[in-house]
Amino acid sequence: MRRVVVFLSVLALALATLVPVASAQEGETTLVVGLTQNWETLNPTAGWLMSEWEMWILQYSALTTNDADMETVPDLAESWIASDDGLTWTYTLREGLTWSDGTPLTAEDVAWTINTSAEQEWMNHYEVTADLTATVIDERTVQITSAVPDPRLPDVGVLILPKHIWEPVATDGEEVTYYENLDGVGSGPYVLEEYRPSQTLTMRANPNWYGWEGREPGVDRIIFRQFGNMDALVAALKSGEIDFAASVPGSAIDDLEADPNIEVIVGFQAGWEQIGTNAGDGDGDVHPAMTDVNVRQAMAYAVDTQAIVEDLWYGTAREIHSINPSIDKRWTPEIPADLVFAYDPAKANQILDEAGYLDTDGDGVREMPGGGDPLHFRHVVNTNSDMGAAIGELFVGWMDAIGIEVELISLDSDQLGAVIAEGTYETYNWGWTPSLDPSSMLSVFICDEIGSFNDVNWCSEEYDALYEAQKVELDEATRLQQVHEATLILTEGAVYIGMVEVPEIQAYRADRWEGFLRQPAADGPVLFNFAGISYPNIRPVGAEGGPTTTAPGDTTTQPSGDTTGTTAPGQPEESGGGVSPAVIGGLAAVVVAAIAVVVSRRKSEDERE
Amino acid sequence: MTVRSMTRSGAPGVSAAGSFWRQFRRSRQGMIGLAILVAFGILALVAPLIVDPAQFSPVVARTLGNPQWAPPSEFPPLGTDHLRRSVWAQFVWGSRVSLTVGLAATAVTMVIGTAVGVIAGYRGGRLDSFLMRITEWFLVIPFLPLAIALASVLGRSTRNIILVIGLTSWPWMARLIRSQVLTVKQRLFVDRARSLGAKSGHIIRNHILPNVSGLILANATLWVPISILSETTLSFLGLGNPGNPSWGKTLEEAFANGAMTRNAWWYFVPAGLGILTVVLAFTMVGRTLEEIADPKLGKER
Repeated sequence: MRRVVVFLSVLALALATLVPVASAQEGETTLVVGLTQNWETLNPTAGWLMSEWEMWILQYSALTTNDADMETVPDLAESWIASDDGLTWTYTLREGLTWSDGTPLTAEDVAWTINTSAEQEWMNHYEVTADLTATVIDERTVQITSAVPDPRLPDVGVLILPKHIWEPVATDGEEVTYYENLDGVGSGPYVLEEYRPSQTLTMRANPNWYGWEGREPGVDRIIFRQFGNMDALVAALKSGEIDFAASVPGSAIDDLEADPNIEVIVGFQAGWEQIGTNAGDGDGDVHPAMTDVNVRQAMAYAVDTQAIVEDLWYGTAREIHSINPSIDKRWTPEIPADLVFAYDPAKANQILDEAGYLDTDGDGVREMPGGGDPLHFRHVVNTNSDMGAAIGELFVGWMDAIGIEVELISLDSDQLGAVIAEGTYETYNWGWTPSLDPSSMLSVFICDEIGSFNDVNWCSEEYDALYEAQKVELDEATRLQQVHEATLILTEGAVYIGMVEVPEIQAYRADRWEGFLRQPAADGPVLFNFAGISYPNIRPVGAEGGPTTTAPGDTTTQPSGDTTGTTAPGQPEESGGGVSPAVIGGLAAVVVAAIAVVVSRRKSEDERE
Repeated sequence: MTVRSMTRSGAPGVSAAGSFWRQFRRSRQGMIGLAILVAFGILALVAPLIVDPAQFSPVVARTLGNPQWAPPSEFPPLGTDHLRRSVWAQFVWGSRVSLTVGLAATAVTMVIGTAVGVIAGYRGGRLDSFLMRITEWFLVIPFLPLAIALASVLGRSTRNIILVIGLTSWPWMARLIRSQVLTVKQRLFVDRARSLGAKSGHIIRNHILPNVSGLILANATLWVPISILSETTLSFLGLGNPGNPSWGKTLEEAFANGAMTRNAWWYFVPAGLGILTVVLAFTMVGRTLEEIADPKLGKER
């Protein structure tokens, strides 16, 4: 009896894998994107993962968006003008906007989202909308006033939510985070069709998206499928089971590049990984040597960043010498030679000798000046980082070479966050990806963030003053100067060492799809980038697609209806290519089930004998 | 003929251990297992002589100019890993760590299991019920979640791995010993000792323990491979000591760094075979010991 149940449940599983095939209609094109990150929530007021962000930017438009060069371009708003004092901006919405369910999208939706998110402090909106007030002028006009000078305006990239869906659930700031957001009503190019937690997230083209005006979507359906690890993801891409792999390990690049059907994208978004230190300006029992900037600078000289670039990232990462305050590299200053702590263990030893940290008892470990405590540091290995373990082992070796003893402690990101807030560590490995406006990245290192986001327990009044000044500086040249200065002060503190700018390594089936766009244009990733500019442009190879070089919001260069009104949808063959692996998978599951039944029967017969 | 059989059964001076060894020597599987174990034991003991632990530092490996991901043909005898370190050095050192953890964790299991089992079985009554309920409580908690939780609470070190395996696996041992003690307790010589005024401690030491020791030894030997596999599992899940190259950790690093997709078989095959061989050898020896301790087993197999 139990065998029958097992068989039936395996059969049900096998059939379940066939369902996507059944739901994909003849002639529709489906793009399958494999990723290793899970979804925790689909609610944009509660989540923060990249996998979730991708779903939101597909489903919701904002007033403005950013093109491949990160410039502010129209999204829901088609134009805007500023008041003389620069505090008030008036936006005019596109004509005839509707939500995917047919409800008109008006200035009312925009004003409600901005005002409610400011009032209820929604986690992803609040950072932008905190000081903003929106007023409806008429159906297509909304006026936004900032209480303080805000250099980010007119760029208001917060996602506008449908008031008629969200008003009943957004009763207060906590209640709104519980909404599951499975309604699939949006204003972006794709909206949610089906969500299976930890398995798949399916989005279908939104016929009411303003950008489809006059053309057909190159992809009718996008399925995001979760994988347990990167190796499985790479294998699925090579076999053609998926069309796009969102995270490929550096070790697989050579192998994938050898495949003529696969295109590998090494994309940078200014994100980096660092060995963070504890400068000791917070609470906690940090080793006293760490509070000395000489020690931190010596450690920076002792770290062979090229080893991280070459051996851990297979040459794809880049050594950097300061943080990137923004995705836009204009905000990253040139680093003067004396602040570039290039690998030089001899110099590191010299700095420590001169500062009085000598090995007086001859055990190979330096002591505090005057023969106090030995320099024994705790390094936390972040187990959520693929490189964490290797960086830890390398770090032990680098510090050993300059007479510092390092003990490794393995913790996951949550535990590490707690340890950093307590200040009970000397070093750790982690990373950041900055936003577009430099303020949010710079805010991490202000004194008020110690015990919270400040992950180096470092505090400088000079830095704080520059941070506060740039935040309300409307003259861009002045602000650029202030941001550069603040970044250099942080660099001199040597609180982040061994920094590498790390890529997102992606790969896709170039034999099936084309039209992917990098963002930033020079070297960015093609999916999971800032504004999702690729999606409206992706199409099956050979199909006449939409514009090849424009961002979704860039109305000025979008083709008009009369030229591309007859754009063909994807060929049935191409959609078949995406479907057949699922059929094979289903059949394979049935075969496995059958074998399992035979084996279990044989086994029980053996037992009876 | 007669002379030989007399010597074997009754000659003075032939100790119990001697007869045990003679029986063991007759088993081919036992001897093969033992030979393998002795070989790995020697490897583990001389590991510091043939391998310099400095080689485990990726910084040293880079300074030495070792190639990355080199197959055995380029970097004999076993190639290098993703951090340019010698796989052979890790394999040799891994035998030391895996055997140490396997034996030490089994010792912890044995000590707790035997103490609980003997006391519960010998005393009986309410104490027995109490100890057995605790044992059952531990038994119903699945091993892996408990071990993972304990390992993350205690922190990641070799000592804690040993403790975690010991603390999660003693209940089986306790139940086994208890059932054996219950039968031994009913024997006449125990009653006789008690009627002669022997104290509980004396009876346990001189009558109970010697009679369950064969079983303890056999099960201990069978428990070592389980401990080694547990260590492998925990290390593979990233809960091992980050600075100590055990076979489980080698497998974990090979897996995490894409050795499978690169077809870098030399990285994970030695550690995998090492685990397989040692586990098999312990099982062979353990089975043989079990058959000697309980001769009924041998005939049925």
